[in-house]
Amino acid sequence: MADIALAHAPETAAELNRARALSAGARCALPVAILLGIGFLAPLVAILGYAFATPRSFDVFRSFTLENFATLFDPSNTVWLSFLWSCGFALATVAILAVVAYPIAYGLNVVFGRAAPLISVLFVFPLFVSENVRLYGWVLFYIKNGVLDGTLKWLGFSGGPEVLYTPGITLFGMVYTYLPFMLFPMTLGLALVPRDLVDAARDLGAGRLFIWREIELPLAMPGILIGMLLTFVLAIGATAEAKILGGQSIIVISHDIEIAFTYSQNWPLGSALAVIVTVFISGLTLFALSKLDLDRMLGRR
Amino acid sequence: MAGISRRSLLKGMGTGLGALAAAGPLMNANKAFAAREKELNILCWEGYNSAQVLDPFRSKTGATVKAESLTNDPTMINRLRAGEINTWDLINVNNPWARKVMLPEKLIKPLPKAEFEPFFDKMLPSFKPPYKWAMSDDGKDLIGMAQRFGPYSFVVNTDKVSRKTAEEVGWDLFNDPALAGKYGILESDDWNVFNLFIVAGIDPFKEHTPEEMTKFDETAKRVFKGAKLIGDIASMNQALISGEIDLHLTGGTYSVSPARADGHPNLRAITPLKGPLASGKGGISWIEITSTVNNPNLSPLALEFLKYVQDPEVAHTVAFAEGTFNPVSQMGNKACFDLFTKEELDAIQWDSLEEEMARSVEYDIVPDYDKALDLMNAAKRLRG
Repeated sequence: MADIALAHAPETAAELNRARALSAGARCALPVAILLGIGFLAPLVAILGYAFATPRSFDVFRSFTLENFATLFDPSNTVWLSFLWSCGFALATVAILAVVAYPIAYGLNVVFGRAAPLISVLFVFPLFVSENVRLYGWVLFYIKNGVLDGTLKWLGFSGGPEVLYTPGITLFGMVYTYLPFMLFPMTLGLALVPRDLVDAARDLGAGRLFIWREIELPLAMPGILIGMLLTFVLAIGATAEAKILGGQSIIVISHDIEIAFTYSQNWPLGSALAVIVTVFISGLTLFALSKLDLDRMLGRR
Repeated sequence: MAGISRRSLLKGMGTGLGALAAAGPLMNANKAFAAREKELNILCWEGYNSAQVLDPFRSKTGATVKAESLTNDPTMINRLRAGEINTWDLINVNNPWARKVMLPEKLIKPLPKAEFEPFFDKMLPSFKPPYKWAMSDDGKDLIGMAQRFGPYSFVVNTDKVSRKTAEEVGWDLFNDPALAGKYGILESDDWNVFNLFIVAGIDPFKEHTPEEMTKFDETAKRVFKGAKLIGDIASMNQALISGEIDLHLTGGTYSVSPARADGHPNLRAITPLKGPLASGKGGISWIEITSTVNNPNLSPLALEFLKYVQDPEVAHTVAFAEGTFNPVSQMGNKACFDLFTKEELDAIQWDSLEEEMARSVEYDIVPDYDKALDLMNAAKRLRG
């Protein structure tokens, strides 16, 4: 009824009121909108407010300065190093996971058959355990006289490799943590590839590499790209791997933000840093999504 | 349509929300004026928030007791500054903050002296009244109660670095290139600032010249670069036990006691014999002071709780609350001291506690802390 009332020009006072009122859809969306407003938007607004507040103060919305941003962009500030580590490690995680997850995703779709659901569950299972607990588990595995080193020594070898507390193990931790986030979108992407098309191409004499390059990859691309984007966004904000496994051998950008909010007690600086990272990630995501025409890729147009 | 239509449902919801919004402030006002006899909120270092300490108090008073633990003093104080003065009843921070910062800023209020000062008579000799950190600057007001304390400098694995060597060489261990890659650094940044100053041969608790800051910067870069890992207490103890590291910067009874209690007496908190601190002392110690927050509607249970933790048995529980084990000032009372077993005394290094405290200056505020911390954070980034 409300939609019909809006369709023609309002004439009576009652119709005018009805026209001014929110549509049924908007009214139904109101609870969610309120929840998002309080739970999602308000903290972001507070962070934005703090980013422009006097350094090392709590004068949010009462002061305005660009000093925090000036500090961060000062050439003598080494915070760009943390940013570079985070970006570099996020990119490396995405690249490694793309290579690692593809065969598994392919297997889940084509090879594993009836075992596929069980194998999927096995990949999801670690997500039920807290990330920190799992990472401390890896510490016990790799630590001197730990599971790996101890077992190798027991078997008569000289011991395990010294990998703990290095940047390399941080990358390992990230690849391990974010595997499911790459694997499942990729599996869905590969599920979109019609088998008939592959069979037809094979009947027409196409080689395996040709089929993969010309049919499988382009058709699975939406899933692959979404997996990559998701992994990248999560990995750029990763802290626990660098702290627990890496022993802070590198400082990542989210750790820098954490330091500003805790020991430094410089909420405005931490907020400015958070704003920069948020703008960077959202810019990158929007750019990627603008290049990614899902409708076209899914063949709906 | 019989009963509820979509419109009437939305209308009802709208009315409900409106009523709630209108009543909200009133409800708060009612709450604000209500007596807080049955609730107590404590902002503290870990230990006071443990069930072992709080549960008996809860059952004794029937009150709702909430405790939140944080691991650095400025964060807790900033919570009060940011407006949480109306939330908390007790705040438990290290010695200088109550007297030098929170009282002048009116974040805490004095305790009834006649009621609480007699407790200090029963404490260990160094806490005899008037105990400096529990008093206001003019010495008139009692502003908090002392309980847990301990020396806090660095920790070694005595199988790798003997106690004698560690005490004699002291902070220069961290200047020894041969030990690069064999030590860790506890992630306790305020203490790391103190200790890096000391490793650089500078007293941290004073205003520093640009030359001293340059030296601090160089030391920070070198010491962080040489560290095998930076991590929390559990990571440090684990790395010491496994043999990944031989010693770690910043640590003491507070951090190493759980490992010692777990059967690793070879790990030991060290207080160097000498150092660049006042009177040539070699280490720093901390003493926690628990004060009543300047809450306009302070729970009467705040004072009750302060008395409750003075009880010998409760004081013993506080000393061995989950997480970290520490000596308590109430050990001056024989009834309390007798509750400690030989193993517990060994875990908190009771054998050398007195001499180590005597070799330590008390934790104080670094006037140019922010500047030093910025330099240290930058130095950390250069590790990679």
